[in-house]
Amino acid sequence: MFDFLTHDMLAVIWFFLWCVIWGIYFMVDSFSLGAGLLVPFIARNKAQRMQIQEAVGPFWGGNEVWLILAAGGTFAAFPLVFSKMFTFLYLPMMLLLFGLIARGISVEYLHKDDNPQIQKALMWSWFAGSLLTSLVLGVAFANFFKGLEIVSGRVYEGTVLGLFSPYALLGGVLFVLMNISSGALWINVKTEGAVAAKAGNLAKKSTFIVLLLALVYLAYSFVGIEGFTSNYSATPALYLLPAIAVVGAVLAVFFAKKDRWFPAFCSNLIAFLFVVQSGLASIYPYMLKSSVSPEYGIDIFEAASSHMTLSVMLGGALVFVPIVIIYQLWAYTLFKEKIKEGEQVDY
Amino acid sequence: MVELILLSRLQFAITVAFHFLFVPLTLGLALLVAGMETMYYRNKDETWRRMADFWGRIFKINFAIGLVTGFAMTFQFGTNWGSYAEFMGDVFGPPLAVEALLAFFLEGTFFGAWIFLDRKRQKLKAFSMWMVALGTNISSLWIITANGFMQNPVGYEMAADGSKVIMTDFFALLANSYVWYMLVHTLLAAYLLTAFLIMGICAYHFLKRNKNEVFRKSFSIAVVIALATSVILPVLGHSYAQYVVELQPAKGAAMDAIWETGSSVPMYLIQVPDSSTGSNSVQLLGIPGLASFLYTGSFSGMIKGLNQLPQDELPPVEMVFWSFRLMTMLGSLFIIEALLGVYLQKSGKLYTSDKYLKLLMLSIPLPYIAITAGWIVAEVGRQPWIVYGLLKTSNGISSVSISDVLLSIGLICTTYLVLIVFELYLIKKTVVNATGAE
Ligand code: HDD
Ligand code: HEM
Ligand code: HEM
Repeated sequence: MFDFLTHDMLAVIWFFLWCVIWGIYFMVDSFSLGAGLLVPFIARNKAQRMQIQEAVGPFWGGNEVWLILAAGGTFAAFPLVFSKMFTFLYLPMMLLLFGLIARGISVEYLHKDDNPQIQKALMWSWFAGSLLTSLVLGVAFANFFKGLEIVSGRVYEGTVLGLFSPYALLGGVLFVLMNISSGALWINVKTEGAVAAKAGNLAKKSTFIVLLLALVYLAYSFVGIEGFTSNYSATPALYLLPAIAVVGAVLAVFFAKKDRWFPAFCSNLIAFLFVVQSGLASIYPYMLKSSVSPEYGIDIFEAASSHMTLSVMLGGALVFVPIVIIYQLWAYTLFKEKIKEGEQVDY
Repeated sequence: MVELILLSRLQFAITVAFHFLFVPLTLGLALLVAGMETMYYRNKDETWRRMADFWGRIFKINFAIGLVTGFAMTFQFGTNWGSYAEFMGDVFGPPLAVEALLAFFLEGTFFGAWIFLDRKRQKLKAFSMWMVALGTNISSLWIITANGFMQNPVGYEMAADGSKVIMTDFFALLANSYVWYMLVHTLLAAYLLTAFLIMGICAYHFLKRNKNEVFRKSFSIAVVIALATSVILPVLGHSYAQYVVELQPAKGAAMDAIWETGSSVPMYLIQVPDSSTGSNSVQLLGIPGLASFLYTGSFSGMIKGLNQLPQDELPPVEMVFWSFRLMTMLGSLFIIEALLGVYLQKSGKLYTSDKYLKLLMLSIPLPYIAITAGWIVAEVGRQPWIVYGLLKTSNGISSVSISDVLLSIGLICTTYLVLIVFELYLIKKTVVNATGAE
């Protein structure tokens, strides 16, 4: 299969797919993470909590699988990167794991018991899990763009504290706010009543903060991060990526102002997608960039698995990713009606 | 270094065993609940609706934990088994990625749809549950494809520098007989566990003198499944064992603690192996030639003994032996319980046979124990190899600091403890509060 493609070409295609899969994950999980970040602050009572829960309940599980696919795809296409990424960042990855566990269990169990104390605790653990997940991902990706302290022989010399540079923290905060905007806009699209109004007000502010943060983050990347601009200088067309990100963020502010929630929601997703892609475009051909010296980084060609594996996987992805996207989109059409307060199914 | 290996193995064993406490029930209940939803759609009989609601609720509670603990599994291969991941990525990665593409997306997407679709859209609701059932059952095929390779590597070649395996034939991975033995055995065990759980819960209500149609009907379905699976499991398990013995002689010999090579090897009903002396410290009630028969199909068959195999490639004999015994003993008990169940139900004495009903309730944990024991046979029996014949477990780990691993084990154990307590509490409450009439 795909014998007309060289091994290097397959590796490049897989790098591209890898960026796409991560991008999809960040977009589709943003509103469920955002809902978790918002629920303690905009839901007054159980009925309102259930509204928010139902706004994301049918979708979050299927959406999270994009993360498994991103991890599994890395394992299959770039085993060396999979191994090193998780080993170097052992503790952050564990934090991410516990964030995901807390979020998942809380959404599913939120109202399985009638005890209000338990429901409160689960609401907060939904919040904490969403916060942890958003923060760790934001910090981790900022570090990937900045480069990890990898020295010769693929040895990692970084420390956990060292991961929290100002740039990485900015990335973490940006991810959290992207998710908050996304969640607020989604809640507004999906629900009716007090919750929707509150979410709308919040979205107006948060999209604006996202715009500012995105501008600072991108500026910081281009000016303050070593090696960030080299791909951009070689291929100026890449400047489209950050440009689209900024346009998306501006449009999100604009549409939110006009109460056009769905376009605002989509614009915010586009901003998120392209902020991430701007960073990923800068590290190519490295997947784990070294901040010590470029040649210590791990690039896609040395990390790629065999021609056979890459082509089998490419075949699988070309057939099944579209199918998945189609039925996931179809699942959204099943739940079109706005969710009213006090009319929830037993979950 | 030694401690790091031990800790990594401990952590892996804890996370995978915990994940697999929830998976079997998911596999079985998904199919049953899907069937119930369809029956309700077909004949609008409220009993089917109530059954789907009740077992569906238990399914939801159980599924959530299977899902979140699955993440821990995926992560571990990178965090703790980095060298293994680099060695195996070419072969292990594709099944894992295909599992996400083919199975997890189906499960995840349709699980949400099934929960939130109301009964006005019953056809779609039933369809969604079938997709969940399909997804979960397909997912076991892919993960077992990966495990099958670790037990019996096929369809690969070694890289020139010996640093990793390279896949040469994807379909050979799937055609691996090990995969199919293991898959069928695992799925049957999962259905058996589901059937016994249902019987146990129904028994609880019968004991409370609640003979609601919901429980009676559930029981009569479950008891048939229990009988079928408990009879087929040992029959197939027997040929599975023969197959394993051929491929992995050390595991095979350890399963029955056969120390010396010989023909017409007896099987001892009471036996205590002792690896420090390389013999049994107790052996009573030997049945001549039975071990030979079970392992080779002939009473005079020849079996390789542990003492004649390479000594540095033996698994921990006692652990494998006792786990295998436990699994097979429990397997025999399940047949008896299932037969009794069918008999009591046919003769109409079921609802008053309090002793039997209590036994059923107490039996709920037993299939869980049998399944975990079975995996210990399969996985510990493969030691010291992580990929049989190709990579030693000690060469599979990541170089991370011991304190990090200690910390993660601590966190994992605490979290999992909270999860299981909470889940048991919810399930118990669901069961106790149910009358069958809601
Ligand atoms: C309800 C659970 C249950 C029951 C009653 C049995 N098994 Fe089992 N067994 C499993 C559940 C299981 C399992 C947990 O599902 C395993 C682990 C790996 C696998 O494929 O299935 C397993 C593994 C396993 C293995 C190890 C295979 C390997 O090393 O890869 C053998 C040889 C058998 N089984 C044989 C039997 C026999 C002869 C049984 C006769 C009573 C039996 N099993 C009953
Ligand atoms: C089919 C999917 C599975 C795969 C790919 C898999 C893979 C592995 C790996 C990589 C290890 C660590 C290395 C080692 O210690 O040998 C391991 C060990 C282990 N696994 Fe599995 N496993 C699978 C299923 C299971 C299940 C479902 C259970 C239990 C219910 C289980 C029980 C164990 C145990 C107890 C060990 C520890 C063995 C030891 O350290 O001596 N495995 N397995
Ligand atoms: C050791 C390797 C394993 C890994 C890496 C792994 C990974 C995962 C992941 C990531 C999930 C969550 C999927 C979702 O979001 O829906 C999951 C759930 C599941 N896994 Fe595993 N798993 C392992 C072992 C096993 C084994 C041995 C089986 C079956 C034989 C199995 C069967 C399932 C099933 C049926 C589910 C979905 C049902 C549920 O959530 O309870 N897994 N697994």
